[in-house]
Amino acid sequence: MQETLATSTLSVPSRSSVSTQDKFSTAGQTLSTGPRPPRHSIVPPPSKSKGWNSRTKFHQMRRTITEDTEWSLAIVPLLTELCIQHIVKNFQNNPLLKQLLPQHQQKVLNLLSPDLPLAVTANLIDDENYWRRCCTQRWPVCHVAKHGGSWKRLFFERHLENLIKHFIPGTTDPAVILDLLPLCRNYVRRLHVDQFLPPVQLPPPHGELSDSGSDVELEEPTTDHYQLGDLVAGLSHLEELDLVYGVKDCGMNFEWNLFLFTYRDCHSLAATIKACHTLKIFRLTRSKVDDDKARILIRSLLDHPALEELDLSHNLIGDRGARAAAKLLSHSHLRVLDLANNQVRAPGAQSLAHALAHNTNLTSLNLRLNCIEDEGGQALAHALQTNKCLTTLHLGGNELSEPTATLLSQVLTVNTTLTSINLSCNHIGLDGGKQLLEGMSDNKTLLEFDLRLSDVAQESEYLIGQALCANREAAHQRALNPSHFMSPVMAKGPENPAG
Amino acid sequence: MQEVPGEYLDRKKESEEDRSKSYKQKEESRLKLAKLLLCGTELVTNIQVATDIREIHRRVEEEEIKRQRLEKLESEVKTSQDKFDEITAKWEEGKQKRIPQDLWDMLNTQQVHCAGLIEDKNKLISELQQELKTKDDQYVKDLKKQSDDICLLLERMEEQVKNVMKTFRQELNYIEKAFEVERQELLTSNKKKWEQALQAHSAKELEYLTNRIKKVEGYEKQLNKQRIWDWEDYNTIKIRLEQDVQVLEQQLQQMKATYQLNQEKLEYNCQVLKKRDEESTVIKSQQKRKINRLHDSLNNLRSKYAQQITQFQEENQSLTSDYKRLMMQFKELQKAMRHFAVVDDKQFREIWLMNEEEAKDLMSRALDVDRIIHTHHLGLPWTAPDFWFLRNVGPISQQPRKSATQILEEVLMQAEEEGTEETASEAESYLDLPKQISAKTTRKILMLLCDESGFLIESKLLSLLLPLEKNECYLLRLDAIFSALGIESEDDLYKLVNFFLKYQIYHSPSSQEQTSPMSALEPGEQTDLEGQEEESLVEGEPEEKETPPSPRLIHPNDVLKILKAFVMGLKKPRDPRAPMKLKCVQDNSKDSEYWEALTTVIPDTTQNLWDALYTGLEKYHLILTQRAKLLVENGSLEQQNTELQMLLQQYLDSQINSELQVPPTQVFRVPTK
Repeated sequence: MQETLATSTLSVPSRSSVSTQDKFSTAGQTLSTGPRPPRHSIVPPPSKSKGWNSRTKFHQMRRTITEDTEWSLAIVPLLTELCIQHIVKNFQNNPLLKQLLPQHQQKVLNLLSPDLPLAVTANLIDDENYWRRCCTQRWPVCHVAKHGGSWKRLFFERHLENLIKHFIPGTTDPAVILDLLPLCRNYVRRLHVDQFLPPVQLPPPHGELSDSGSDVELEEPTTDHYQLGDLVAGLSHLEELDLVYGVKDCGMNFEWNLFLFTYRDCHSLAATIKACHTLKIFRLTRSKVDDDKARILIRSLLDHPALEELDLSHNLIGDRGARAAAKLLSHSHLRVLDLANNQVRAPGAQSLAHALAHNTNLTSLNLRLNCIEDEGGQALAHALQTNKCLTTLHLGGNELSEPTATLLSQVLTVNTTLTSINLSCNHIGLDGGKQLLEGMSDNKTLLEFDLRLSDVAQESEYLIGQALCANREAAHQRALNPSHFMSPVMAKGPENPAG
Repeated sequence: MQEVPGEYLDRKKESEEDRSKSYKQKEESRLKLAKLLLCGTELVTNIQVATDIREIHRRVEEEEIKRQRLEKLESEVKTSQDKFDEITAKWEEGKQKRIPQDLWDMLNTQQVHCAGLIEDKNKLISELQQELKTKDDQYVKDLKKQSDDICLLLERMEEQVKNVMKTFRQELNYIEKAFEVERQELLTSNKKKWEQALQAHSAKELEYLTNRIKKVEGYEKQLNKQRIWDWEDYNTIKIRLEQDVQVLEQQLQQMKATYQLNQEKLEYNCQVLKKRDEESTVIKSQQKRKINRLHDSLNNLRSKYAQQITQFQEENQSLTSDYKRLMMQFKELQKAMRHFAVVDDKQFREIWLMNEEEAKDLMSRALDVDRIIHTHHLGLPWTAPDFWFLRNVGPISQQPRKSATQILEEVLMQAEEEGTEETASEAESYLDLPKQISAKTTRKILMLLCDESGFLIESKLLSLLLPLEKNECYLLRLDAIFSALGIESEDDLYKLVNFFLKYQIYHSPSSQEQTSPMSALEPGEQTDLEGQEEESLVEGEPEEKETPPSPRLIHPNDVLKILKAFVMGLKKPRDPRAPMKLKCVQDNSKDSEYWEALTTVIPDTTQNLWDALYTGLEKYHLILTQRAKLLVENGSLEQQNTELQMLLQQYLDSQINSELQVPPTQVFRVPTK
């Protein structure tokens, strides 16, 4: 009896006797298990449910402790362990974390369930491991690098995106999103929403074809999507906004109506981005933004304090929209402008070129799959002769031909900032290719020059490739040791052709 | 290992081999990988480019088709519009039809037309629907194509990833191997180096050891030699020093002897001096007493002296105060005296003037009387006497003397008038000028002086003089010269002129006889200025004629010499006091003379005449008075007569007479007148 009492209360003498026993009886074992106990503390949680059973068994086994050679203190959970387990269990009701010692905090965090309500965890837990577990539990694929390497940020951003994606105006309660706002406002920096559901009259959004067809006519004026204004205003660290006004996975239920970016959406979005002073990157792609909407948006972006990147690719922007974008170039600190796959023609390209001529911020301009033709191309080439800032220029699929190529070859000899040009899918022609090759021979800074499928002779393309290779080598050397700029180039000179 | 580029060798000497090999491997791998990546991305992006160009082609085609379609629609619209117009026109036509048959026909035809129109539209719609369908098919195809593309893309990407992974791993292995090899080589080479270095080290150690042994032996030999040589040296020095010590001891003994001697002498001297000292103390005390006494006397004397000093100072002070007081009094007295002198002078002058006036009055009366006597009583012509004193006014002693310049002015004025009225002016000039010299000569001398001694005049003055008249010019120049020479008064000027003349006389033997009168003048001139004047008054006329001055004899060159001599001479007799005293003495005599002269204005002869006349006249007067008395008596008698006559008449004429018996008238004869 005495022994049971002693062991149940875990009094000191018994402990000492046990330890002495340990030393005597299982000297070899203690040596190996000595350093273990802290690690072993992790072991109990999985067998948490069996805790009571094991304890009852313990009572039965007590009498035979002295005889049990395999018994050791390691099996007995420490009081701290028990406390931690208790804290973990009651974390939802009584979140205790900050008051604990660091190593105990760690333990608690490792034991916490990822299913805890966000209201408890959001502002309390900063541990990355916990959030990683949350993320991995919810989503099979997580690119933490896309979210600044922070799992917590990833969790909240994706969580918010998910909510917005499945928000149906009129049916879903806006409080669902706005309630989350105080929890996630400090962590969300990037908002990537590639689906905005339209409001639905009938309960099943994927109704029959005939129904939806009739609905189209009725609903057309009221197909406004979720208004981001309140949400964005609450997110104090938002830097990137990536939106696609469209529906994913509509399959055979396709309707034009699903991909409608209405004027009201446009106005509210414009007001939202204007009010968001921390915004650095704004993307609105595949959303049928036409000239007027583009102008509304761009007007709201004029003189924006932080905006650096604007992506309006895969829209329906024409020359007027391009002119607005050109105006924006001179009224902001824009560094990247993407107008790929729009309907910009020569006048729009000319106005862009005019703005580009004296711009000192823009480093990248993408006009892929437009139709600026030679006039626009020449205007851009002229602008590049004075511009000292642009590094990347994409003019793929723009119906360009030889005149542009001749002007660009002149630009290549003069300009020292351009590092990448893309002229693929144009009609440069053989002569144009030769001229570009000539221009390339004087250029030492260009690293990429895409001339695929542009009717250029194989030979000149190959030679241009050689020149680019040399330029890349030089750039690599420069990057390796900027101070010894000259000598390595000299040293590597003979080796380059060999490599 | 051996194919290292030279430049590289310079940069990294220590690990050139390893570096080069690994570096080469790395570089190779890098290039290979870069190429691979480039190719891979190109491969992957090729799909995008292909779709791009396909899209472009599609777009172009689409545009073309769209354009065609639009054209078609437009033409369709046009034709259908035409047809519609035709139909509507026919409606108008139909309205005019009256015959039902025709109307029916027409309606039929209209129906046919309408049906045709609708059919056209339907056809168009069906065509468009067909197109739509093909488009749908196209869309489905495109979707498929896209999915294929995406599949291809994924495939390629996967392949690319695999490839890249594989190659990366491979390259990594290569690089690791290269590093390994390099490390091995490095190890072996280093080991070799280490061993070589060790061997070299031990060899060198041995060499050093042998060298050291040799050196130690050599040093030992040298030490022995040195020791022997030092020992000998030491011995010689010791002997020499001992000798020195002996000599020095001898000297010490001698010195000790002399010291003893000197000590005795000094002791004796000391005793003598002590005695002397005692004596001197006695004398000293005596002297001290003496000094004390003397001090006492000195103190006494000092106190006396101080007392005296104070006494004398007091005296002195009182005396000085007295003196000051006296001086004050004296000054006051002087002031008063001066004042009184002035007052006296004034009084004197006033009295003089009063008396003179009175005298003159009297004189004039006397003269008037004289004149009346002469003319009326004597019947003689009367000439008014002319005396110098008559013209005199005021006291003679106070007459102001003229300055040199005034004289000059006069002289020059005279000279001017000379030509016209020579004789008349002469009379006047004699009054002022020294009588021995004529005005003309004076003037000439002065002109000469003026011409010759221009150097005495200031150059400024000369320039100012230019515009003036000749005479004024001379005057001013002479004035300047005189001020320079120190000539102030009339007398000085005369002296100068005289000096000139005398000089000339002395130096011209031809006029030797003239010296006597001139030399006689000399003492009078120098001592008594007034006397000179007086003398000249007396001697004036004869001398003037005697000395016709000949200024032309004075050579201009001599003028300077004369002037020099004159200035030297002039300085001697300047004694301002002498003439003052003489003047006072002279005054009284002069005055008395004057007054005496005044008394003699009526000469004695006339007085005698007057006396005689007086007596005569007195007698005459007597007779006249007697006659007058008689006349008066006569008159009174006559008067008595008349009165008596009157009374008689009265009486005669009275009433009583008539009444009387005998009228008295008849009695006598009444006198008639």
